[in-house]
Amino acid sequence: MHNLKKISHAPLRTEGWTRRMVLLAGAIVLGASATGVGADEAAVAIQGHAQMIAITVCGTCHGKQGNSTHPKFPRLAGQNAHYLAAQLKAFRAQTRGDPDAVGYMWGMAGELDDTTVDALAGYYAGQKPEASSAGRDAAMVARGREIYEHGIAAEGVPACGSCHGPDAHGLQEFPRLAGQHAQYILKQLASFQSNMRNVAIMHGVAQNLRLPEMQSVAAYLESRP
Amino acid sequence: MPSRTMVESARTFVPPTVLLVALLAIAPEAVAVPSFARQTGMACEACHTVYPELTHFGRVFKANGYTLTNLKQVRGVSGKKEELLALSQTPPLSIMVLISDTQLKGSLPDVANPAAPGLAQNGTAGFPQQVGLFYAGKIAPNFGAFLQLTYSNSSGSISIDNTDLRFADVTVLPDSSPLIYGVSLNNNPTVQDLWNSTPAFGFPYTGSNASVSPLANPAINGTFAQNVAGLSGYVFWDESLYAEVGGYRSAKQGSANALTGAAGPLDGTASNVVQGLAPYWRLAYEHNWDRHSLEAGLYGATFKLLPGAGVPLTGPVNRFNDVAEDLQYQFVGDEHQFSLLATRIHEAMTLDASFAALGAANPKDDLTTWRGSATYYFRRKIGGTVSYFSTTGSTDTGLYQATAPGGPGVVTSANGSPDTRGWTAELNYLPWLNVKLTAQYTWYSKFNGSGSNYDGVGRNASDNNTLYLLLWFAY
Repeated sequence: MHNLKKISHAPLRTEGWTRRMVLLAGAIVLGASATGVGADEAAVAIQGHAQMIAITVCGTCHGKQGNSTHPKFPRLAGQNAHYLAAQLKAFRAQTRGDPDAVGYMWGMAGELDDTTVDALAGYYAGQKPEASSAGRDAAMVARGREIYEHGIAAEGVPACGSCHGPDAHGLQEFPRLAGQHAQYILKQLASFQSNMRNVAIMHGVAQNLRLPEMQSVAAYLESRP
Repeated sequence: MPSRTMVESARTFVPPTVLLVALLAIAPEAVAVPSFARQTGMACEACHTVYPELTHFGRVFKANGYTLTNLKQVRGVSGKKEELLALSQTPPLSIMVLISDTQLKGSLPDVANPAAPGLAQNGTAGFPQQVGLFYAGKIAPNFGAFLQLTYSNSSGSISIDNTDLRFADVTVLPDSSPLIYGVSLNNNPTVQDLWNSTPAFGFPYTGSNASVSPLANPAINGTFAQNVAGLSGYVFWDESLYAEVGGYRSAKQGSANALTGAAGPLDGTASNVVQGLAPYWRLAYEHNWDRHSLEAGLYGATFKLLPGAGVPLTGPVNRFNDVAEDLQYQFVGDEHQFSLLATRIHEAMTLDASFAALGAANPKDDLTTWRGSATYYFRRKIGGTVSYFSTTGSTDTGLYQATAPGGPGVVTSANGSPDTRGWTAELNYLPWLNVKLTAQYTWYSKFNGSGSNYDGVGRNASDNNTLYLLLWFAY
């Protein structure tokens, strides 16, 4: 393993399993910038580098293709690249403060540069999400679907789908939620409520949600393909 | 480690099974190193359920040679753009301190004056029991170390402790599975292992160095810790299938060539010298799903020992062939952590040297030891472990000797049996993740072959029951 160094600053013969990848990427980036050609090849090399990091470092927790099995670690396969990049930058800047972000990702993202962030986000966005095999309570899923699609007017909770999309695949800064671990979604909602994860719009959405409602929404989302 | 006076001045062969008595000074020790947390920028829980038990991520970190770093690097680059240096700006140093108190149920005999027998003080304050200095982390690209120097109150000096130097790399196979491969240079068989079901980092993670240990112990179970040098190569496919092959040679500490006074070569004044290379092997498979992790594996080693201790290092050897199975299950949740660890080691001894020298009553002996433990923690704050251990083996009045006439007993066996069994239970409280308070109690229902009067001079197995209180911290 190695540090997740900045590709553009990599001294071209670097450590570990990324040596050849970084050599190639660095050479191509330098060559491309000097001649204005080979930009596609540079992008391919950078993506290859990101794939190596994703499989051999991130993959230990998030799964090789981003389909983690441990509910502590979110599924990243198919996640919106825009959202993923924003999260990695928030970890790096130590502005996302939920407990697992602090304990795990502040360190892991600490030395990522923007090029690598974008390449990693692109890698996961391009992976095929696998359906969750977790067991579900049908009544809870149905209730979760109702909340997701229509909100809870009496509690001032808007429909989740209005931002995350009717299929929960998300859009731009709104993350994909379909197939995500229910436990992970629950923890995030709790973190939005407490503002440990400080996102104003989600704090507003989650502040009135009760635990059974959160559990229902999480169960529904986990069930979505 | 066995002191020179205890082992190397012995005129007769001391089998590894008996060396444990001399090894009492080295107690098991919990190891979790804050320098790894500094290097990775990740909390302890990334690599440990509660230290020193490793999570899956911790095992992969170790297999990768302790080199994952998220720190800024001081770099050196050649004109050909080769990376010549990559040093973390913070050196991976840590200090570990153990402060303890030990009470035996039955006081030990005071051997100061055999003519006026009395009892030793009961209660041993270890202040400190141990202070460890670690270099634990990346050294260079693909090269990392877990290196420990330890001051121990039993020796009153600083010596090398568990050490594991690794070169490791990883590649991605065409099917997208990662293949980690590497080499470990270490000084204790199984210290390089990734699971906590094998001896070096198995339960009990900490123990008293002021207690009484049974006579018999398989060779692979720490007998040669810090007195061998081993080199092994390993592969870890898809973070699931692990295979390792290596070999160990004697690398004695505190030993000098009798003729030159230099560090070596070893000659017949040394004792229990490994003949050639002692092969070591390991095969394990791990499956992870949801919050669960399950591992099953096999490991073993074969040591051919030249008795030495006054006998030239030629002629017959004693052969210890250890084959072991291990099993580890972990549930790793946010609130609850639960784990089961188990190992069974079978040792077949062919004692050509000892039998010829009348140091063993049988030309062949066997020994089987197993330990199982269950650990639970709540929020990584409060938890405990219950563990059962058992050793059984063939009776050998030469190997497991009776108390000499007028002798104090304690570390002897009246019937020549190595059989020992009992329980260890401990409670732990961690006010912070790098500070642990432990209360541990060990019960013996059988010790060196018997429950009562096992040494023939009136000591019962339960007299060796041990209460151990520990303050552990590392920073």
